[in-house]
Amino acid sequence: MSRLPYTWRGTAYSLFLGAVAVAAQPGPGAAQTDARVLEIIDEVDRLMRGESSTGRMRMEIDTENWSRALEMRVWSLGTEHSLIRVDSPPREAGAGTLKVENEVWQYLPRADRTIRIPPSMMLGAWMGSHFTNDDLVKESRIIEDYDIVISYEGDRDGEEVWEFTMTPKPEAPVIWGRIEQQIRKGDRMPLWARYYDEDGTVSRTITFSDFGSLGGRLVPTHTVIQPADSEERTVVTYLELEFDVGLSEDFFSLRNLRARR
Amino acid sequence: MGGGRANDGLGLVTNRMWWRIAWRNLGRNRRRTALTASALTFGFVASVLMIGYMDGMMEELVSNGTRVATGQVQIHAEDYEPERSIHRTLGGRAGLDVGALLAAVEGQDGVVGAAPRLYGGGLVSSGDETVGGILMGIDPVREAEVSRFGSSLVAGRMPGPGEIALGEAMAETVGAQVGDEVVLVAPAADGSTGNDPFTVSGIFGVGVGAFDDSYALLELGTLAQLMAMDPGRIHEVAVSVERVRESEVAADRIREAAAAIAPGLRTEPWSVLQPQLFFIVTYADSMNWVVAAFIFGMAAFGVANAMLLATFERRREFGVARALGTSGLSVGRIVVYEGILLGLLSLGAGLALAVPLMIYIYENPIDLSRFIDTWSFGGSAVRPMLTVEYSVVGPLVSAIALAITGIVAALLPAWRAVRVPPADSLANR
Repeated sequence: MSRLPYTWRGTAYSLFLGAVAVAAQPGPGAAQTDARVLEIIDEVDRLMRGESSTGRMRMEIDTENWSRALEMRVWSLGTEHSLIRVDSPPREAGAGTLKVENEVWQYLPRADRTIRIPPSMMLGAWMGSHFTNDDLVKESRIIEDYDIVISYEGDRDGEEVWEFTMTPKPEAPVIWGRIEQQIRKGDRMPLWARYYDEDGTVSRTITFSDFGSLGGRLVPTHTVIQPADSEERTVVTYLELEFDVGLSEDFFSLRNLRARR
Repeated sequence: MGGGRANDGLGLVTNRMWWRIAWRNLGRNRRRTALTASALTFGFVASVLMIGYMDGMMEELVSNGTRVATGQVQIHAEDYEPERSIHRTLGGRAGLDVGALLAAVEGQDGVVGAAPRLYGGGLVSSGDETVGGILMGIDPVREAEVSRFGSSLVAGRMPGPGEIALGEAMAETVGAQVGDEVVLVAPAADGSTGNDPFTVSGIFGVGVGAFDDSYALLELGTLAQLMAMDPGRIHEVAVSVERVRESEVAADRIREAAAAIAPGLRTEPWSVLQPQLFFIVTYADSMNWVVAAFIFGMAAFGVANAMLLATFERRREFGVARALGTSGLSVGRIVVYEGILLGLLSLGAGLALAVPLMIYIYENPIDLSRFIDTWSFGGSAVRPMLTVEYSVVGPLVSAIALAITGIVAALLPAWRAVRVPPADSLANR
C-alpha cells in the first residue's frame, strides 16, 4: 500500500484532516503516472502510514438562498474511515456522517434514523455544502482513477511550485474531465485545485490558505470551495487537530454514528 | 303586382300573409308534416343529448382536474414555475402577509375559497420502507373549500400539529396505518436536512393516481418547522371559483387583488396551469358543432325529400299563383317559410322531449363501470358514467343547426317552385 501526500486527496481530505496521507493502491495503469510524482508519494508515504486523527472544524456555507455555519467534530483513520458529528447549530446538533471505504451513512438525530446514501444520491450536496457525498469517498481513489503528470514545475509568483494534472483513466468512474492542482515545493502545501468538466471548462475551484501548525503539523487551516458559475461558496476552517490519537477501525461503526456524545 | 318589395307600405301585412299560407300548407298533409318534423325533432333531441353528454364528461374531467387539488386559480411567485424551488416563496425570501392575501382573494366576486400551501419534497419512511413523496403544508379548514383531500379520507382525519395524512397508495407502500409513526426527511430552506417523526392522522384517496401515490399532507406550521421556513412564507394560494369553465374572468380579478398585496406574483387559471386539460376541453367544445352538423346533415336530406314531394304535388297551385301575377320570389318564399315553420314546430317538440330527458339523466346517471374502466387524462380522471351537464350552448347549437337545416332543406324545393312554368303546369304538361 502506498500513500499520497494529502494534497492528492481531491477535496474531501480538507474536510476530514489537514495533513494526513491518502491511502491508495496503484492499480493497473499506475505506470502512466509520472515517476517523479510517485517518488514524492513514496516519500510522504513513509511518514504517514496508519494515521489517526481527531479535530474540530467550522463550515460556513453561502448560497444564493441561504447561509449557515456549522461546527463539527471529526475523527478519522487513514483515508478509508471517518466520522463527523455536528455540534451546532442546535437544530442540527447530533447529526452525523460515517464513511467507511466507499460507503457513506447519515445519521438524523431528530428522527433517530440512519440512512445509507444510495449511489443515486452520491452527487448530492453533503450537509447542504458545496461538497458532494462523492467527494467523501473519491478522495481515497485518486491514484486508481487518475493518471497524474507534472504539467508545470518552477516559479509562480515568487514561489517554487509543482502543478499536477490528473486525467481520469478510461474506465474510471469519475465525473471530472481533469483536475489541476498547485503544490508549494518547499513544504508540500497545496495552494489550489481546479476541477474541470468534460468540456474542459472550470467547474469549481478549491483554494487553500492560512497555513499554520495544528497538532504539531503544518496544515492549511482554511479551505474555500467555490463553484465556477456563481458567487456561492463553502469555507472550512480547522479549529483543532490532533494526530496519532489511537483510533481503531472498530470506532467507525454505525453504533458510534448513532451515539450522541 | 308583385312581392313585398314593390309595396313597401304593405310589407308587414303581406309578409304575414305569406307566413299564413306557409302554415296552412303544412296543415294540409298533417301526417307527412309530422313525419318530416319528427326527423328534425329526433335530430334535435339527439344533438342536445350528445352535447350534454360531452359537456358532462368534460365537466367531470375539469372538476376532477381542478377540484381534487389544484383549484381553478393559483397564485405563485413569478419565478416559482417551472423549477418549483422551495426558496421561491410568495413575496420573495421575506414572505408576505398571508392573511391579508387570502382575505383580498376571498373578497373577489365568484371566489368560493382560498387555501395557502407550502410544498416540500422528501423521503417518507415507516419501519424499513421508504418512498419519495411530495409534502404539502396546508390549512385543513381552508383546504376543505378548495380541494377534496378532506372529503376523501378513507381513514382517520386531516392532520393537526405534529401529524401527517398520507395518500392511500403511499400508505400502503410504506405499510403505515392511522396512529403509526412515520419519519420524514426533507431538504430544508436553510440547507440543512429536516428530519422528524410524525403520527399518521389520516389516509386519503382522492382517486387521481398522482396524489394518492405520492402526496403527504401536514399542517402548514408543522411543515414550515420541518423545512426551517419562516412563517409568512408559502409557495401557493389555490383558489376555487363558482364558475369552473369561466375561471379566466375570476383569475383577472384575483390577479388585481393579489397585486395590491405584494409585487412579483403570478395568478393563473387552470386553463394555463393545466394546458393538456384545457386542450381537450376546447377540442370537445368544437366537436359540438361537428356532432350537430352530422346529425342535422342526415336529417336535411330527409326533410328536403319530403318537401320536394310536397311542392311537386302543388305544381298546379304554383302555376295558378304565378298566372295571377305572384312573383317567383314570393312563391319561393312560401316554401322557405314552410321550412322555417317546420323547424319551429320541431324545435318546440324537441324541447318538450329533450328537457325532461336531460333532467332525468342528470338526476339518474347511468353507471357503466361494469363495462368500462375509469380513464385518466392530463392529470384528471373520468368515471364511466353516462351523465349530462345542463348547458345553454348545447340546445342553442342544436337549435341553430335545426333552423339552418329547415331553411337549407327548403331551398331546393323553393327553387323548384320558383321555376314552375305557369302555362305548362296549368295545362298539366
